[in-house]
Amino acid sequence: MFNKFGSTSETLSKASAVVHRIGTDAHLYDDPEDVNIAPLLDSKFESEKCEALKRLLALIAQGSDVSNFFPQVVKNVASQSSEVKKLVYLYLLQYAEKRPNEALLSINYFQKDLGDPNPLVRAWALRTMAGIRLHVIAPIALAAVGKCARDPAVYVRKYAANALPKLHDLRLEEHASAIEELVGILLNDHSPGVVGAAAAAFTSICPNNFKLIGKNYKKLCQILPDVEEWGQILLIGTLLRYVVARHGLVRESLMLSLHGMDSNGLCEKDGLGRDLTLDKEEDGGKSDSFDVNLVSLVSKCYIEGPDEYLSRSSYTDTVSSAFDSKETTSIAHNEDVKILLQCTSPLLWSNNSAVVLAAAGVQWIMAPLEEVKKIVKPLLFLLRSSSASKYVVLCNILVFAKAVPSLFAPHFETFFICSSDAYQVKAYKLEMLSLVATTSSISSILREFEDYVKDPDRRFAADTVAAIGLCAKRLPTIPTTCLDGLLALVRQESFAGDFESVDGEAGVLVQAVMSIQTIIERDPLRHEKVLIQLFRSLDSIKVAAARAIIIWMVGVYCSLGHIIPKMLTTITKYLAWSFKSEASETKLQILNTTAKVLKSAEADDFQMLKRVVIYVFELGECDLSYDVRDRTRFLKKLLSSKLACHKPAEDSVASQEHIATHVVEHVFGRKLTPFSPLALHNRFYLPGSLSQIVLHAAPGYEPLPKPCSFVFEEQDQLSDLDRQREAAADLDDSRESSETVDDDGSSDYDSESSIGSDCSSDGDERTVSNGVNDPAAPLIQISETSVSADQEELRSKKALDLWLDDQPSTSNQTPSALNSNQSSYAKISIGDIGSRVKPKSYSLLDPGNGSGLKVGYTFLSEVSTVSPLHVCVEVLFENSSAEPILEVNLEDEESMKVADSSEQTLVGKANASYNNVPTLIPMEEISCLEPRQSAKRLIQVRFHHHLLPMRLTLHYNGKEVPVKLRPDLGYLVKPFSMSIEEFLATESRLPGMFEYSRRCTFDDHVKDSRMENGKDKFLSICECITLKVLSNSNLHLVSVDLPVANSLEDATGLRLRFSSKILSSEIPLLITITVEGKCTEVLNITVKINCEETVFGLNLLNRIANFMVEPSSSAS
Amino acid sequence: MLQCIFLISDSGEVMLEKQLTGHRVDRSICAWFWDQSISQGDSFKLLPVIASPTHYLFQIVRDGITLLACSQVEMPPLMAIEFLCRVADVLSEYLGGLNEDLVKDNFIIVYELLDEMIDNGFPLTTEPSILREMIAPPNLVSKMLSVVTGNASNVSDTLPSGAGSCVPWRPTDPKYSSNEVYVDLVEEMDAIVNRDGELVKCEIYGEVQMNSQLSGFPDLTLSFANPSILEDMRFHPCVRFRPWESHQVLSFVPPDGEFKLMSYRVKKLKNTPVYVKPQITSDAGTCRISVLVGIRSDPGKTIESITLSFQLPHCVSSADLSSNHGTVTILSNKTCTWTIGRIPKDKTPCLSGTLTLETGLERLHVFPTFKLGFKIMGIALSGLRIEKLDLQTIPPRLYKGFRAQTRAGEFDVRL
Repeated sequence: MFNKFGSTSETLSKASAVVHRIGTDAHLYDDPEDVNIAPLLDSKFESEKCEALKRLLALIAQGSDVSNFFPQVVKNVASQSSEVKKLVYLYLLQYAEKRPNEALLSINYFQKDLGDPNPLVRAWALRTMAGIRLHVIAPIALAAVGKCARDPAVYVRKYAANALPKLHDLRLEEHASAIEELVGILLNDHSPGVVGAAAAAFTSICPNNFKLIGKNYKKLCQILPDVEEWGQILLIGTLLRYVVARHGLVRESLMLSLHGMDSNGLCEKDGLGRDLTLDKEEDGGKSDSFDVNLVSLVSKCYIEGPDEYLSRSSYTDTVSSAFDSKETTSIAHNEDVKILLQCTSPLLWSNNSAVVLAAAGVQWIMAPLEEVKKIVKPLLFLLRSSSASKYVVLCNILVFAKAVPSLFAPHFETFFICSSDAYQVKAYKLEMLSLVATTSSISSILREFEDYVKDPDRRFAADTVAAIGLCAKRLPTIPTTCLDGLLALVRQESFAGDFESVDGEAGVLVQAVMSIQTIIERDPLRHEKVLIQLFRSLDSIKVAAARAIIIWMVGVYCSLGHIIPKMLTTITKYLAWSFKSEASETKLQILNTTAKVLKSAEADDFQMLKRVVIYVFELGECDLSYDVRDRTRFLKKLLSSKLACHKPAEDSVASQEHIATHVVEHVFGRKLTPFSPLALHNRFYLPGSLSQIVLHAAPGYEPLPKPCSFVFEEQDQLSDLDRQREAAADLDDSRESSETVDDDGSSDYDSESSIGSDCSSDGDERTVSNGVNDPAAPLIQISETSVSADQEELRSKKALDLWLDDQPSTSNQTPSALNSNQSSYAKISIGDIGSRVKPKSYSLLDPGNGSGLKVGYTFLSEVSTVSPLHVCVEVLFENSSAEPILEVNLEDEESMKVADSSEQTLVGKANASYNNVPTLIPMEEISCLEPRQSAKRLIQVRFHHHLLPMRLTLHYNGKEVPVKLRPDLGYLVKPFSMSIEEFLATESRLPGMFEYSRRCTFDDHVKDSRMENGKDKFLSICECITLKVLSNSNLHLVSVDLPVANSLEDATGLRLRFSSKILSSEIPLLITITVEGKCTEVLNITVKINCEETVFGLNLLNRIANFMVEPSSSAS
Repeated sequence: MLQCIFLISDSGEVMLEKQLTGHRVDRSICAWFWDQSISQGDSFKLLPVIASPTHYLFQIVRDGITLLACSQVEMPPLMAIEFLCRVADVLSEYLGGLNEDLVKDNFIIVYELLDEMIDNGFPLTTEPSILREMIAPPNLVSKMLSVVTGNASNVSDTLPSGAGSCVPWRPTDPKYSSNEVYVDLVEEMDAIVNRDGELVKCEIYGEVQMNSQLSGFPDLTLSFANPSILEDMRFHPCVRFRPWESHQVLSFVPPDGEFKLMSYRVKKLKNTPVYVKPQITSDAGTCRISVLVGIRSDPGKTIESITLSFQLPHCVSSADLSSNHGTVTILSNKTCTWTIGRIPKDKTPCLSGTLTLETGLERLHVFPTFKLGFKIMGIALSGLRIEKLDLQTIPPRLYKGFRAQTRAGEFDVRL
């Protein structure tokens, strides 16, 4: 640094520049590789590491790939300096995906940091861990997020919410439900900061899981104003979608205004229209209220998906069948809608334009008609922010204004154009002005337009002229003023138009002529004089496109009124005279026009005109342009009869010419019908969306959900549950010792949450909503794991006592008969179940692929004889073809390669030489398999990884087929028998990071209990669960805890414990299944795993949750 | 959500890229963007939302630096734009401006800031006062310190203290020996005078800017004498909506340091302090132009730094302009600026001269728009008056200061 200073301070200016840059990282950016970076990274000084990392970042900023430094950088993750740590994290996030193996080295440090007392360190670690996007660590990251979601620090919880979309992005199907569960927990957080981040996670993970919103809807609405602005944007959208899905659209709203009219008759419409135009002077006219068709089209667009848009057939169709009255709601009766409108309306004052627009969108869609106008002023105020947001806001306002021009009509002055506006903004403002113009405001608007026409930006001037045309079209009273102005402009421009040096000049002229044409089109007869003036100005107008339009008008209006027909000869003569010097565009129009004129010519001019036409055709036939020549020939042929005869009336005499005249009639004689573009194919997108700006559905764009598509059935269940819980609580008072596990857990959480909410200002208000009556309470119980270890132990002991003791000392109400029944069951039924366990069978080879050979496999619970790492797999070969199959064998793919290279050695031998522990203990070869014969063989397999399938080669009939043997996680463990005391002791040693749980549902027992009515319900549930677990995995059943409940129906509290050891590492793995719910209904079960090997444990947890849910095969 | 942010210099060089999600965006998109903006000119360059073949691009341009963000999926475009604006604000506050050199010299700070401000494409912390707490802005002391010791971390290793509280914009319990709070009314006058000399539109856009240096947890109430004149308003997140809704009083717990409390608009003003009377006559290829500037209605305070700028039309080949007061400069892009300063007592400033049109053109048919600039200290032209500023608990040695100023915003006078 000093060297550099000395060498560059030769001149004063240079020196001052250096002084200015001293202490910045300028030299690092300018020349990041002027020193060797690698040794700096290994330096023992933090400052040198820091510099090296800065150099790397400079290289990243400049777009070079510096991933080769990854190993050295990763080491520094252990640094204590926050700056080094931050820089390392920045680097890691950039390259982790590229270097997964090295990135894994950092995981341990993250794990350590996650336990750091400093919340900032925890948050950073979580953020980086979730951000490095490796599938391998996803389960760990998810577990960490789960932990952090319950962190006492708000900051960390917020980062947990932010981490969820990252994990979701990895597309982990097996974790999807766990992630959604966490979103639910975080949405229920009492801190606005966390809720905002959770809303963002919700929108990107499960935007249609309205159940999560339904539980907290009211709370979310209340917390909305306190959520930080970015979260607000997404939360507003989420709440709107929820309300639409739950209750449908509002009957009084603008969106359904048409619907209201249908049912209540026409008088309503007048009333509504008057409401809207209440604060304006009486203008009258249809354009003032709102375009009913367009509004209903807009509302339909908001809801329909792309398929419906494509299948939209006709305009009238869609309008009439817009909405079903069932799918609507009324604001007067619906609390939810009312709350939503209430909580979003102050947000119209937000400092963040995106929030304002989102809030305005809600009001626009849901608010009653007469209240929609309150969005107008805030929206218009947004136009005073940055030019970029001005553009986006204008895009959205335009749609609103198209549907209800009267909303914005009083504020037309806002859309007056500033010289500093960007061109696009100017164009939108012009469109707005022409949309909202009313008879009272049009005069000032036109005066503005006059100014704009003189603007140096000629493209803008041309747009203004087009806007004048639009205004004149909309307001029938003003065309005369407009026309005068436009004609004056044409006259003036035709002089300036001489002068081609300024481009864009021509555009104004062409646009002026076009605007005149659109005005005339409405009532040509009235504007005859204008037409004559235009025709007269033909000589002075030099711009080809403008000439072409005027010449076209000559043809179209040639028989209009009295004066024009008399001028025709002169005009056509003039056209013929100028034909040679015209552009080909104009030439084509001259040809058309002369033909049209000839067709409708009067008798006295006919000869003259005919000569002119023939002259023009002669010129046209030898024109340079192909188009002109072709057109000439075509017209000549078509008009041959006209040209041949001498009187205009003679043409129809010759019968053979009849068709030609008919064609001529058809081509030229048709009346001009004003063209109005149909709004049918317009598509509107939700206000504030990206799609509305780019005008196509951007990927990920979702319309509003179908009205009332979400049925909220939770309410009844919840109240049931609440009642139950209350009853249970009553009982608890009388007998403390036998309180149910479930209640224990929830009360625990309650106390915790009230501690956490200390920091919130109106915490008292919020904790109330966290109380017992909160409909969200059942969700909280997922957080069972937050119960501290010693409490857990205590509780388990309690339950254990109960279970072991045939006559529980404290039980005064518990039926002892039940208890004794249960305990005896536990003893006898295990052996019983063993025989009923049917391990699941998987398919290795389809008969379709294997020319009739069907191969399936089942994992066996037997322990391998070869080594503890092997799993026994029973393979079932079945011949379903008509021919016998010979020499069937299964071999390891890798060993095949070895065998190929080293001649014809035995497979077993090759394997042995390849590795000390063979991956596959081969089976006995089946020499011949007769048709419809099946054979079982046993193989023993050692899987390399608990998730990766093993590649095998199947030999039969001399063919080789590659097959994949997929490991079943449930059989990569072995039963490990332990007593309940041992189990609890082990469990208490594995808290925190090593404990993870998941919830799922279980319904096997429902069918089962129906069949065997006589049996005890608890018994059958236990049996069902055990059967299911043992059919799918290789575990040891340790104990069954029975619920001490007040009713025989309630299975809540039933708990099963299984123990096992992981095959490869001999690490114990404990599984606890806790049941909740009624015996006869679908049960909610919580599966908890305690294991040191986090990855394996989490994967197994997911596997268990999956097979518990899937319908049982053994039941059938 | 946003996938990547690029900072592009005014010469098209990508100075910095920050990937936000795992879906990397190649920087070739910038090349595409730059090619397009060169070939399509200004109207493309100013388009804030662009659908490129591969990504949706959001851009804002600030002091020649283009901030470009990419997304591939639906997201609220205003959110992206608003966020980029905040980034630009924060960067220029930290770096003391925004230009190519400053960004390059402080790229580490830019990275650190971006890292705090956005995570996985979703905005995280954008409140400047909290950012200041997490990442120390560079100042002379820290710069010198880093030269001398070679080691100065600007990353804080403790949590921003406000992050967990219910007022996340305020650090808990800052300590000041003297408690000071300043309220500034900063107003901008937007006006349009049309070619007939008629005042078409005249309104005030104002901001209430505060600088609060108060210890502890102050709860402030600010009330206006005439809140009814306010047409539209927007508030800082700290302002509570209820008191404003019920009796139009601003009640809030302020962030620490400088911030914008609210912005408002007052419409339909009848008068401007300064008049501009342009006249132009053209004949036979030359135009005579004269512009008079004077005080229309004396606001009672001196009107300072009056400037008038306009763009000469393309068809003007040369211009000869002089003034009896102030200086006139004409840049090569035909931008003409007349710096007047204060209006002298004895004479009316007048700009006069001739414009020569391109050969062949008889008369001028397009006319420039004059942009007026001025500044008046000590007065809010909207007439908005602050009634009082109350503190719930009055700290020792409290000093309250009020100021006002008005300057020209979008003040267009059409010729």
